[in-house]
Amino acid sequence: MKTLIKLESVSKHFGNFRALSNINLQVDEGEVLSVIGPSGSGKSTMIRCINLLEQYDSSGSIIVDNKLVKKGKALREVRANIGMVFQNFNLFPHMTILDNVTLAPMRTGGLSDADAKKRAHVLLEEVGILDQADKYPDQLSGGQQQRVAIARALAMEPKAMLFDEPTSALDPEMVGEVLHVIKKLADRGVTMIVVTHEMGFARQVSDRVVFMDSGQIVESGTPSEIFDSAKESRTRDFLKSVLSHEAYTNKR
Amino acid sequence: MIYLKLISKFFLMSIVALLSIAQSYGQDSDKQVISVGANIGNVPWEFQDTKGQLIGFEIDLVHKIASQLGKEVDIVNIPFSGLFSAVQSNRIDIAISSITITDERLKSVSFAQPYYDSDQSLTIRSDSSVKTVDDLRGKIVAVDTGSTGDIWTSENQQKYGFKEIRRYEGITPAVLDLEIGRTDGYISDIPAMQYYTKDKPNLEVVERIKTGGSYSMMFSKHNQLAVEVNEVITSLKRAGYINDLHEKWFGIRAEASTSTAKTTAMPGSKEGVVLNFVDTFLNKEVLLTTLPMLMLGLKTTIQLGFISIVLGLILGLALALLRLYAPYVVGFLAKAYIDVFRSIPLLVLLIIIFYALPFVGINLSPFYAAATALVIVSGAYTAEIFRAGIEAIPKGQFEASQALGLSYRHMMLDVVLPQAVKIVIPPLTNNSINVIKDTALASVVAMPDLLKQATQAQAIAANPTPLIAAAGIYLALLLPLVLYVSHLEKKYRLREYA
Repeated sequence: MKTLIKLESVSKHFGNFRALSNINLQVDEGEVLSVIGPSGSGKSTMIRCINLLEQYDSSGSIIVDNKLVKKGKALREVRANIGMVFQNFNLFPHMTILDNVTLAPMRTGGLSDADAKKRAHVLLEEVGILDQADKYPDQLSGGQQQRVAIARALAMEPKAMLFDEPTSALDPEMVGEVLHVIKKLADRGVTMIVVTHEMGFARQVSDRVVFMDSGQIVESGTPSEIFDSAKESRTRDFLKSVLSHEAYTNKR
Repeated sequence: MIYLKLISKFFLMSIVALLSIAQSYGQDSDKQVISVGANIGNVPWEFQDTKGQLIGFEIDLVHKIASQLGKEVDIVNIPFSGLFSAVQSNRIDIAISSITITDERLKSVSFAQPYYDSDQSLTIRSDSSVKTVDDLRGKIVAVDTGSTGDIWTSENQQKYGFKEIRRYEGITPAVLDLEIGRTDGYISDIPAMQYYTKDKPNLEVVERIKTGGSYSMMFSKHNQLAVEVNEVITSLKRAGYINDLHEKWFGIRAEASTSTAKTTAMPGSKEGVVLNFVDTFLNKEVLLTTLPMLMLGLKTTIQLGFISIVLGLILGLALALLRLYAPYVVGFLAKAYIDVFRSIPLLVLLIIIFYALPFVGINLSPFYAAATALVIVSGAYTAEIFRAGIEAIPKGQFEASQALGLSYRHMMLDVVLPQAVKIVIPPLTNNSINVIKDTALASVVAMPDLLKQATQAQAIAANPTPLIAAAGIYLALLLPLVLYVSHLEKKYRLREYA
């Protein structure tokens, strides 16, 4: 298996605060990786370093598809190769759904108007929003908007996808539809890193689960290694508190 | 319609305001202090000596007359072109400033009998090739707004082929531009210029322009005070006092045939009607004759406003982007620019650009000087508006664009600016309204904008109707914009709550 994303000794400071400390992580082509952990543990910061929305400390390095992620001319190409889906969707509110999806392929992918539209139609169909293509984002529900955001990221035909808590801002009844789309992508073999609080999803869909706390990777392993027999007490404590809460809500 | 209601309310308020002016229109000859308006600096008639004391031929005369009437004098400094509306609105009782008696003026104001016979004159730089009015073909001529020189020069512009007439508010700015070389000759009252140039070797009065005309004190129409002053002047002439003043200020006595020595009748209007409120402020005849002048002014105002708004927008956008995204030093310079030019009054900047820059070799015409000042200041304001607009765009929009691999240019053009523009349209429209209003300041650099043309027209007609008309034109120009802003603000507010 080819390594697609590689983080070596990556740290990140915000002033004196150390948000990430010596992160080493490898993601292979086709692998689905879930990142779990308490709020403020550095999960989001880590994946935001991968496409340089955050500049990591110079002591470490991040390689995507054999290219070092750093400021400069090559960065745009690296970014175009990594799709990102945000917690708050971040759709462009002044454009229709269709234009949201066609913008980047036309501007940076060199696609013609017609080709970009063709691709957008396929993707919107895949996420189940094609009938809303001419609407504006604020006319759609949160779940629909997030599915558009996924289609928009896929339109650049990226080599990997980053999901930054894609369901955290959604009303509970819309979480399922978004997770369903992500799962479909996973089944299709799209390489992805998903930062999530949805433990059921992480367990069911991931090839590997990473648990982070205080800016460090505490442990990683297959879903059953983490959820059923975690080695570290920090992991077990975290899972206990999250899962008991989930059990409580499920019973109701 | 709420707009109609607002408009009718506005007109109601205007009428109330005008009526209150009209009320102060009544005359009160019993008061003990006479308020005298004068264009200070008009040598040797009314000016300041080195100690700041007001002196001059007419200052001496008005004090003498007041003391004969048993009254005090209070002198108010008013530009020449403002004296006419000042007497008509009774803000002052008497206007002095070597004012020539004309039939046109007599329709709207009263004069006492004349006490000085004058002509116009041509003043040039001593090193100039211009020696007579005939040499001024194709050249730029300076005059005082609404003065006899202005009237004569306007009437003879075609005959002598003057390229352009620049209008100033008094001797000082007019002479400054003559010295700099912006104008080629200055046509003004001969006694004032002879007196002014006698200790200035770089200036020379080269020609007397025989226009005739005599000076006197000016009053509101049918003011009883005019009759009283006229009687005092008669007695002062008989006593030889006025000719004594002539000798004091001009060094020689006037000939016996001149109005300085000889008593004459009080000049009467051929149309001896008492002007009522409408005839004074909304005079149809004056309006019709001055409308072409006002339209020329409107054209200049719109041209200046349009150019300043468009260039100001471009400059402002560039400054905002530099301030937000340029490397430290450039960003700091952009911020410094914005802060400095938001703090300097536009009028001060305009005067610096027009009167100071020529000394370092930058000599801009009135139009370009005004446009430069307006663009510089408007750019600073629009920069702040754009910055606020861009900063109001959520961070997520930038991150989503970057994550998609959009270039900086496409991020700004496709994502950020289209959203920012919606936010900034109401404040930008407000700024544009201010720019158009501020074009009126350009009249200080002799630019014939709407206000300047109206001032000139009201001085020549001695009637404030052109000023009222100009106010109406500004209103017609700007009220739609003001209403448009309210409409936009309301629309965006509604969308926010939708």
